Amino acid sequence: MIQKKVCMVGVFGTGKTSLVQRYVHSLFSSKYHSTVGVKIDRKQVRVGETDVNLLLWDVEGRTAEQEIPASYLRGAHAVLFVADGTRRETFDQLFELRELTRSAAGDIPSIVALNKVDLTDQWTLTAADTAKLIAAGFHTLTTSAKTGEGVEDAFRWIGVATMKDAAPAAQAQVRHGN
Amino acid sequence: METETLARSVRIDAVGLSHAGKVRSANEDHFAIMVLHRSIQLRSTNLQDTTILDRLRRPEVNILVVADGVGGAIGGKLASGVAVRSVVEYLAEAVGCVQDFDVDREQTFLDHLSRAVERGHDRLKAMFQAHGGPATTLTMVTVVWPRAYVVHVGDSRGYYLRNGTLKQFTRDQTMGDYLVDIGAVTEQHAQKAGLYNVLSSAVGGDLVPSVGVVDLMEGDTLLLCSDGLTKHVADERIAQVLGTNDPETAAQSLIDAALEGGGSDNVTVVVARGNAE
Repeated sequence: MIQKKVCMVGVFGTGKTSLVQRYVHSLFSSKYHSTVGVKIDRKQVRVGETDVNLLLWDVEGRTAEQEIPASYLRGAHAVLFVADGTRRETFDQLFELRELTRSAAGDIPSIVALNKVDLTDQWTLTAADTAKLIAAGFHTLTTSAKTGEGVEDAFRWIGVATMKDAAPAAQAQVRHGN
Repeated sequence: METETLARSVRIDAVGLSHAGKVRSANEDHFAIMVLHRSIQLRSTNLQDTTILDRLRRPEVNILVVADGVGGAIGGKLASGVAVRSVVEYLAEAVGCVQDFDVDREQTFLDHLSRAVERGHDRLKAMFQAHGGPATTLTMVTVVWPRAYVVHVGDSRGYYLRNGTLKQFTRDQTMGDYLVDIGAVTEQHAQKAGLYNVLSSAVGGDLVPSVGVVDLMEGDTLLLCSDGLTKHVADERIAQVLGTNDPETAAQSLIDAALEGGGSDNVTVVVARGNAE
C-alpha cells in the first residue's frame, strides 16, 4: 500500500496531538500532555480508487528553548501546521516553521489548521490573518479537536494533496471566532 | 557526511539490572540488551576508490527491552519472558531488516519492530486461549544512532536525560490514564479505584502499541524501567542519579533507591548512554 509521511508541526500546546487523537481514535482529552520526540500514528484513507496509509508524525512542539529537529521532518510528503487561534504568537511563528520545513523536506503540500475554534471568546485571529496565509500559499481551515470541526476536512485535504503532482490551490475554510 | 562520521564514532554503553524487590517472592520482570551488526571492516587497501566503504559499513543497532509481567507470579514471569524472548528471536531472524535499513525506509523498519512485539503477543494468546491469561508490559527502544525508535505497551517507562533535564518519552497505558484523559473520571477517583494499576494495553491482553521516535545527542542517557522504580523514586532523584554516574553505577543506584523506598514491586532498569569513541 502507498504510505505517506505527514508531519504535524507547530509551537507547543497548539493541539497537534489532540487533532491526531480526534482523527485516528475519535477521542478528545482536555488534559495536556507535551509530546517528547515524535509519536507516530497511522490512518488509512481512500483517495479516488487508491488506499493510502497516512503516517502521522506528531512532532514535539517548538519552545523558546528547543527548535524542532529538522531530522524529524526529513522525507515528509506533507505537513500540517497547527496554530492555536487563542494564542497569537503561535500564528506568528508559522512562517518561520515553514522555512524550517522547506529546508528539511522541500516544497511539500502544506496546510494550516487554526485550532481551538471552539474557544470563540478567546479567539485572536482575524480575516486579515487568513488572507495572509492564503497569500503565502497555505491551504487554511479552522479546526477544533474538541468538537471535531474541520478535522476530517484537514486530513482529507492532505490525503488528496499527497497523491497529486501539485498541491491543490490554497483556499480557506475558516470560521473566525470573533 | 558529518552525520555519518558521528554515527560511526558513538558507542552505546548499556547496563541492565533486575531485582525481585523486598515484598514479592518472584521476579516477573525481564530485560534484554542486544547489539545487531553485520558489517565488513576494511582494514587496509590500495583501492583508489574507497567509497566502497560506504556500502559495506552498516549501522550498528542497539536494542533495549524491559517487560513487566502481570497475572500472578508464575504467569507474569512467563508472560514477560515469552515477550522478551520473542522479540529477541524475531529480530535475530529479521536481521536483514537491519542490513537494509536506511532513513527512507524507516517505516518498514518500524513495522518490523512492531511485528517483533506482536509475535510475543500472538504466542501468549496461543498459549492461554482463555480470557484473562497472563500479560506483560513491554518497552523497547532501538537505537540506530542518533535515532531511537520506540515501541511501547503498558506502564513501564522510557526516559532520556539531556543536560540535566529528564524527559519521559512514553505515556503510561493504564485504565486510569485513559479514563482521566477522556474526562470520564477524575485523577482522585482513578487513584482511589486502583485504575492506574490496570493496564489498558498489554502484550497478551488488548495490544495497542504506541510507536515513536526520539533523536538522541551525544551524552544523553536513556533509561527504561518497570514501575517498580517509578512508584518509589521521584523523577528528580532519577535525574540526579543518571546525571552523576556511569551507566553501571546509575543502574545499581536506581535499584538501591527503589529498595530503600519500599521495594514493594519487582524493579528493573536498563541504562544506556551514547559516548564518543
